[in-house]
Amino acid sequence: CRVLLPALALALLGLAATVGPRQTLALEVAEELAEELWSAGLPGDLPELEPECRSLLAAFAEGSAALTGCLGRRARPVRLCQDCHDHYRRLLAQYGSIARAVGNSSESHNCAKSILTSDRLQIVVTLSEFFNETWEAANCANCLKNNSEGLSNSTEEFLDLFNKSLTCFEHNLQGQAIDLSPNNYTEVCKNCNETYTKLNDLYNHLQRMNRQGGESGHSAHLCIDVEDAMNITRKLWSRTFNCSFPCSDTVPVIAVSSFILFLPIVFYLSSFLHSKQKKRILILPKRIQSNASLVNIQEKYS
Amino acid sequence: QLTPSSLLRIGQLSNVDLNEDIHELETELPRQRPNEIPHNEKLLSLKYESLDYDNSENQLFLEEERRINHAAFRTVEIKRWVICAMIGILTGLVACFIDIVVENLAGLKYRVVKDNIDKFTAKGGLSFSLLLWATLNASVVMVGSMIVAFIEPVAAGSGIPQIKCYLNGVKIPHVVRLKTLVIKVCGVILSVVGGLAVGKEGPMIHSGSVIAAGISQGRSTSLKRDFKIFEYFRRDTEKRDFVSAGAAAGVSAAFGAPVGGVLFSLEEGASFWNQFLTWRIFFASMISTFTLNSVLSVYHGNAWDLSSPGLINFGRFDSEKMGYTIQEIPIFIFMGVVGGILGALFNALNYWLTMFRIRYIHRPCLQVVEAMLVAAVTATVGFVMIYCSRDCQPIQGSSVAYPLQLFCADGEYNSMATAFFNTPEKSVVNLFHDPPGSYNPMTLGMFTLMYFFLACWTYGLTVSAGVFIPSLLIGAAWGRLFGISLSYLTKGSIWADPGKYALMGAAAQLGGIVRMTLSLTVIMMEATGNVTYGFPIMLVLMTAKIVGDYFVEGLYDMHIQLQSVPFLHWEAPVTSHSLTAREVMSTPVTCLRRIERVGTVVDILSDTSSNHNGFPVVESNPDTTQVAGLRGLILRSQLIVLLKHKVFVERANLNLVQRRLKLKDFRDAYPRFPPIQSIHVSQDERECMIDLSEFMNPSPYTVPQEASLPRVFKLFRALGLRHLVVVDNRNEVVGMVTRKDLARYRLGKEGLEELSLAQT
Repeated sequence: CRVLLPALALALLGLAATVGPRQTLALEVAEELAEELWSAGLPGDLPELEPECRSLLAAFAEGSAALTGCLGRRARPVRLCQDCHDHYRRLLAQYGSIARAVGNSSESHNCAKSILTSDRLQIVVTLSEFFNETWEAANCANCLKNNSEGLSNSTEEFLDLFNKSLTCFEHNLQGQAIDLSPNNYTEVCKNCNETYTKLNDLYNHLQRMNRQGGESGHSAHLCIDVEDAMNITRKLWSRTFNCSFPCSDTVPVIAVSSFILFLPIVFYLSSFLHSKQKKRILILPKRIQSNASLVNIQEKYS
Repeated sequence: QLTPSSLLRIGQLSNVDLNEDIHELETELPRQRPNEIPHNEKLLSLKYESLDYDNSENQLFLEEERRINHAAFRTVEIKRWVICAMIGILTGLVACFIDIVVENLAGLKYRVVKDNIDKFTAKGGLSFSLLLWATLNASVVMVGSMIVAFIEPVAAGSGIPQIKCYLNGVKIPHVVRLKTLVIKVCGVILSVVGGLAVGKEGPMIHSGSVIAAGISQGRSTSLKRDFKIFEYFRRDTEKRDFVSAGAAAGVSAAFGAPVGGVLFSLEEGASFWNQFLTWRIFFASMISTFTLNSVLSVYHGNAWDLSSPGLINFGRFDSEKMGYTIQEIPIFIFMGVVGGILGALFNALNYWLTMFRIRYIHRPCLQVVEAMLVAAVTATVGFVMIYCSRDCQPIQGSSVAYPLQLFCADGEYNSMATAFFNTPEKSVVNLFHDPPGSYNPMTLGMFTLMYFFLACWTYGLTVSAGVFIPSLLIGAAWGRLFGISLSYLTKGSIWADPGKYALMGAAAQLGGIVRMTLSLTVIMMEATGNVTYGFPIMLVLMTAKIVGDYFVEGLYDMHIQLQSVPFLHWEAPVTSHSLTAREVMSTPVTCLRRIERVGTVVDILSDTSSNHNGFPVVESNPDTTQVAGLRGLILRSQLIVLLKHKVFVERANLNLVQRRLKLKDFRDAYPRFPPIQSIHVSQDERECMIDLSEFMNPSPYTVPQEASLPRVFKLFRALGLRHLVVVDNRNEVVGMVTRKDLARYRLGKEGLEELSLAQT
């Protein structure tokens, strides 16, 4: 009887849904029945999920919570790929086992079907899609090894250099008072120039390698960690420390450009003055000139 | 020594004596006009002749038609389709070639210059980078300009005016030769790589036309190869139809717009159209864009993807924020007004410049120097703008091909450089699609201003290059500026994507310059892949055309006029009904008798002062009591073939002629008939007689003397005639109306004007 009642309620609900809105009576009956069931203390979640599936789902939920936490905590400064790739890999595996798992009871009761596709929302699929998209957008595959177990060598090297330059910045800043005017970071600029240049070169090198490897031009970014690290360093370097002072040689540029801009004027003037103007030789047409046509044309001219 | 004009005057006087019945003679016409005048727009050049669209239905033609049975005509129809497919494929391939070579060479150039600038930014000495950039540009453009100026001047410019004239029935010398195609393609590549403010889209139309003209003939006279195929199509009428297909295929390859291509051909090109042609031309266009698409997608490494249908892709405009609301339509119309005014300004400036160029810069070496200077100045202006700009944008997340840092902080790029330091196509797409805030208004304003003058200065140089992309670029820049300022003014209440306004600005500017309507709407619609934009684009183009036409005519028409081409518009000038054929025609006419002495024919053909192409044939009646009525019309080219094959009556009587002349002999000589000087006629042969009755067109079109100009015009224009004989009521030849006689009447600012003929 415990099994039968909910089944009856379900059947009634289904009936109401299929028969249509006119049969409101059946619907009301079904609702009443469901409420009765609920008040009778029967379990709300109907026994459609097998225990194995339920455990898989729970594992997925925990995994996604962990990954979300990791992503959130590593959002600034960006350390997503370095710190969360384990979580991500685990989650992928969990999702894979859900998608593959087949409940042992019958064909219709496999976990993939009941977890992934049996409702409109399909929250598990949505979640996993979200994580995949985020991972793709962050381009993390770019700085992980091919089997995505840990960071690739070049990334390690880059991060080492990055840390080194950060320590260099810190060391050199410690010697000075904190409230120095922003122009006075010359010490940093002088001492850390070498590491910074190395870092910059390595980054450019990585970018070039990536661009050559990637099939279509500039769409292939480096992974977000590396990009962000470089970005922070560059900002510190050129905005905060004001270390990159390009030589602005305005005077020669103005001289050269005004020389070039001056050339066409000379050219046009000289061709106007010296070149012989092209003359057209008029050909007198062979035709009868009647008064009528003359009047016609000249009238219009006057 | 007699000047040509005095000779002519004598001719006219004698003409007076001969034709006593003509009483109104030139008596009071003031003839104090100088014989030599500076070039102006009210001239018709003698250089241009008409094409023979009128089929000469002589006996040879009838014989051939009898010989060919019905099945053979069906294969002719199939051959037409095959030719159209080949036109499409080859046009697509040429477009691919141009695209790939430009991409690689321009990439190389920008990388070299970028590396150089990066190097000198740190160390100082940026003036060297400037010099490097300017020299690179100037030298590349020098090569491009030299091949055009010295080898094939007709390849200069976009080629659209020339093709328009060709399809109108004007024979522009060399316009559809293989040599022209080669020069055009190389010239386009070099001028785009040379960093001029030009595009490679316009010349595709010319290239497609040359390909069409070449394939349909099944041979190349330049290469001296005859493949012995498609001989049926060796005449002007058939060639014209294929050339319209080629023009359509060119547009289609350039913009990925097959329907736009057909409509372009219809609107701008073809003066003659038939319904069956439409479907065939559409076929050629489709094939062309498909070929380009598949080859480019293989080249880009994602075969079967088919994602690059044209030389320029406007990118996708289908995101939600790109949509427009009904309130924005007045804004778009206002943009159309701005586009029309700016376009008119562009055309007016270009008009003065072109006039100056025709008058003073006519020597090839000067033209090359001018092109080089423009290239150097373009680079300099770009450099100075980039140098002075302080508009830095973060490099992250942007898709800049060659980010120039210059004085920006590390990790940022100079935003002005995306506009100037790039090929114009890429800049256009950037302006359409870069997210809001990628450019600050100052950058856009300066860019628009500078590029407007540069593009205006560049069009009309002796390089082969088009005006489509520069116009789009100018328009996109001010359109984007407009979009940004709109969201400023309204405090962000219309927080629209500036890319949308950039698109409308581009359409307005292009419409204001070239004044195309239907085809441009469809081209823009197809290039954006968004049908809902059709309505605002149509409104924008319409307003731009109306506003622009109020000031000055379209760029292509203007250039046709400046080249003194006898172009026939759809209708005769409206106020010309009082003019009759009598006043329009040229007279007296050099006529031939039906059985004419060879010596006379040779003398008439060799006479350099009257370079006529069609001769009415009159009855060769020895007694003078009967009038010499018109019997037919024979063309210079036919006479030359006859003389070459020595088809003389005496030789026929002596059985010296091996075989009868066939239509094939005339076709083999087409389109380059040898000049009369190259045909040797001995003294004895001069006394022979030649019988023209078999070869002449026995039923030429004629009009009576009293026919009004619009009537004559309509007949001439609709049938694509070359010669229209004016006869009196006794069927005697009184005069001849040719294209130049009709084209010289034009509706000017003060009413009906008459253009003068001139030697150019």
